Amino acid sequence: MLNYLRFLRRCAAVSFDGDWRYYSWVGLLTALCAVGLNAYAKQFVAGLEITGMSDQVSWGVYIANFTFLVGMAAAAVMLVIPVYIYKNEDLHDLVIFGELLAVAAILMCLAFVTVDLGRPDRFWHLIPGIGVFHFPGSMLSWDVLVLNGYLLLNVYICGYLLYCRYRNRKPAKWLYIPFVFAAIVWAISIHTVTAFLYVGLGGRPFWNSSIVGPRFLASAFTAGPAFVILALQVVRRTSASSAGAGSPVEGPDTGRTELRRRDATIADLDHLARHLPELAAVSPSELQACLAGATFIEVAAGDVLLQQGSLDNDAFFVLSGRVVVKRAERGRLRITRNIGPGEQFGEVSAIAGTPRAATAIAAMPGEILCLPADSLRRLMRNPRMNEIITWRMGERLMISDQSLLILRAIVQVSMIINVFLLANEIFTEFYNSNKHDVSWRYLVLGLDGHHALVPWFWTAVTLNVSAMVLLMVPLSRRLKWLNLACLMCVFGIWIEKGMGLVIPGFVPTPLGQIVEYVPSWNETLVCVGIWAFGLLCFTILLRMAVPILQGELSRSNET
Amino acid sequence: MNPEETDNGISRRSFLRTSAVLSAGVAAVAAGLAPLRKLGQFSSVDEFLQKYYKELTPAEMKGVLTRIEDEVQRQYGIRPHVRDYKPMNGVEFVYALNLTRCVGCRKCVHACVAENNQSRNPEIQYIRVLKMPNDGTFDVDKSEHDYAPKSVPVPGSFFMPVQCHQCRNPPCVKVCPVKATWQEPDGITVVDYNWCIGCRYCEAACPYFARRFNFTSPSIPASQLNLNMSYLGNRPRYKGVMEKCHFCIQRTRAGRYPACVEVCPTGSRKFGNVLDPNSEVSYILKNKRVLVLKAELGTLPRFFYYFDV
Repeated sequence: MLNYLRFLRRCAAVSFDGDWRYYSWVGLLTALCAVGLNAYAKQFVAGLEITGMSDQVSWGVYIANFTFLVGMAAAAVMLVIPVYIYKNEDLHDLVIFGELLAVAAILMCLAFVTVDLGRPDRFWHLIPGIGVFHFPGSMLSWDVLVLNGYLLLNVYICGYLLYCRYRNRKPAKWLYIPFVFAAIVWAISIHTVTAFLYVGLGGRPFWNSSIVGPRFLASAFTAGPAFVILALQVVRRTSASSAGAGSPVEGPDTGRTELRRRDATIADLDHLARHLPELAAVSPSELQACLAGATFIEVAAGDVLLQQGSLDNDAFFVLSGRVVVKRAERGRLRITRNIGPGEQFGEVSAIAGTPRAATAIAAMPGEILCLPADSLRRLMRNPRMNEIITWRMGERLMISDQSLLILRAIVQVSMIINVFLLANEIFTEFYNSNKHDVSWRYLVLGLDGHHALVPWFWTAVTLNVSAMVLLMVPLSRRLKWLNLACLMCVFGIWIEKGMGLVIPGFVPTPLGQIVEYVPSWNETLVCVGIWAFGLLCFTILLRMAVPILQGELSRSNET
Repeated sequence: MNPEETDNGISRRSFLRTSAVLSAGVAAVAAGLAPLRKLGQFSSVDEFLQKYYKELTPAEMKGVLTRIEDEVQRQYGIRPHVRDYKPMNGVEFVYALNLTRCVGCRKCVHACVAENNQSRNPEIQYIRVLKMPNDGTFDVDKSEHDYAPKSVPVPGSFFMPVQCHQCRNPPCVKVCPVKATWQEPDGITVVDYNWCIGCRYCEAACPYFARRFNFTSPSIPASQLNLNMSYLGNRPRYKGVMEKCHFCIQRTRAGRYPACVEVCPTGSRKFGNVLDPNSEVSYILKNKRVLVLKAELGTLPRFFYYFDV
């Protein structure tokens, strides 16, 4: 418990730490939050009168954003399913990012619902037990339950996995796998329930269509992973540069300097056992045997321990100091790991006998134990050592292009389904012209000289269809084009599910009156504030998670 | 970032930096919240903690009614009489509206506003009169809401007033997440203005555009206030809550007609107890050509339209 509090304290401390880019980004977001808060305070005093909403169009851009963000939150499972159900290891490291995105998105959802309430001071009427909770009658009460439940599930899973990584401990399966599976079902449910909020209204033909639920899921699984693709690249770029900022290393071209080596002794293994308690499980005779060919290296900052592309068969353990692992990918150098005492590197290629995938450089003076592959295999015959070493091999933070391409495949398929479902609905409404199509007509063509939503709709269609085409051609295997496609997906779906879904449901009114809706300036500022708040949460969560996943922030370097 | 600094947790420099960043954040939040100074009296502690209508004991209800009288007196300078009228046994109210006779004069709209203490600015009205083309479509999408003819009736058109249909199967009640709106035993769907959280889900659910939201604090000239008030009916509403037609609960539960029925110059509006076989509405339902709006939605309205011939 005390350990966990210390972990949280260090996480909090690290969120205040960063380079000037981090500070200006967080500063900008905080300023926008304050602007949004100010706009909300004005709304709180004046009432919802200062929004663009009316009795005729009684939900606006708040609920539109809410609907979109529920989808973003649900989309986290599209990272979780391949990993836990199909055992896809490429995405393994990225699950945490998806779930952190879900946490940030749900927080935004809750904020958007709160600002939409006429009486936010009476929120306690909704709390089961104290208030009067209309469950299971009202779909809104279902939404309250599933959204808060999903938030708790994801906070728990992320918190537990990150804490284990921090302690360098293998997570206990029974403590998180059941929750992961619950979260998968839950994610589908949050979005279905949100769709049912609309679908359940018999008096609104625009929404009262059974295809709205599937459309919600398809669009969520497009926009969510598309956003994750973009966010991961930002993480990849900034984590590399921020970790590299203070390091004395210039690059891998410094060449392999002559390292100061000596034969390793049993005392060095004892030293390692202090950081790696599992080593105590290995018998002394085995340890002795491992020393054959093992060396002890004293490094200075900047010493290159292994070079990307070279072929040798040594595995390394850090006894003291820190080592960074850098990888040249697409001509750019990225820090992929930051390794502290007790941790190993180079073992994967040593055991597999493949060329080194990255270059390892000492970040500060320290001591390294170098074991030949045979010695490592011998250590791994011990079940506990085997478990910890193989688990660590899997727990690396590597945002490879391969994993981005897997996400691309998900976005691709979802967008095709999404466009297909939309086409289905358009056909049903327009081919056999009847009473149901009035709102659709308003959205697509405009009605009686009112066409506020027509440009929105066609922008969304253009973005979605172009994104779909782009995702289907090999060109989008290049990151630049993939990013463009993802941006188009996110914006296209944002319009389709926001302004394009919520507003037309109200136009015309059930009594045939056409009143148009345009968000007011103040309303827009509140939205900007909530988006800034969500991005701020996501940024801070990533700022905590990335160093933990990279091994920069771990129990071994607690003071 | 200096590597030593992260390793030592909070060093002096990072402590200073952290507190600087934190205080900048707090200052930004404080500046953002500045408009709240104009809030004034928003909600008293008693009002904030008030229980749900159906959970109030008679003694608590008495206290609540007195508090509301105090609130109105403080705001308008006149003390009203606020009561909690209960439904009568053996009574189910229904409404019948004669489409042959209605001339679209909108006297009902304004009588309703005066009786029920609706906000005058912004103007809230429970009754919407539609001018419908006499083209055989009976399509509300072709209706005109803002008609202003020099005289009524208008050839080629008929008029159809719409207000809350007091459905037997009300979609608005089903969707409310806190049960702040419900159907009373005498068939009236009411709102507890002290329980509504203002999510406007009921407004989205209503197929008859019968609900109205207080987008800001209602304003009524003190001289025009109707002092005969009921808790579930015409007492002044709050900012941020929903309201709707309640068949003038403060009149009908005391044996009087709704204001719209009384004021109608053509006698198009009929109101009564459908459980009484001798009532006027029972006669109309048995003997006239009666229809309900949007019957296909299965809402089972208690508001019927009929024709003379």
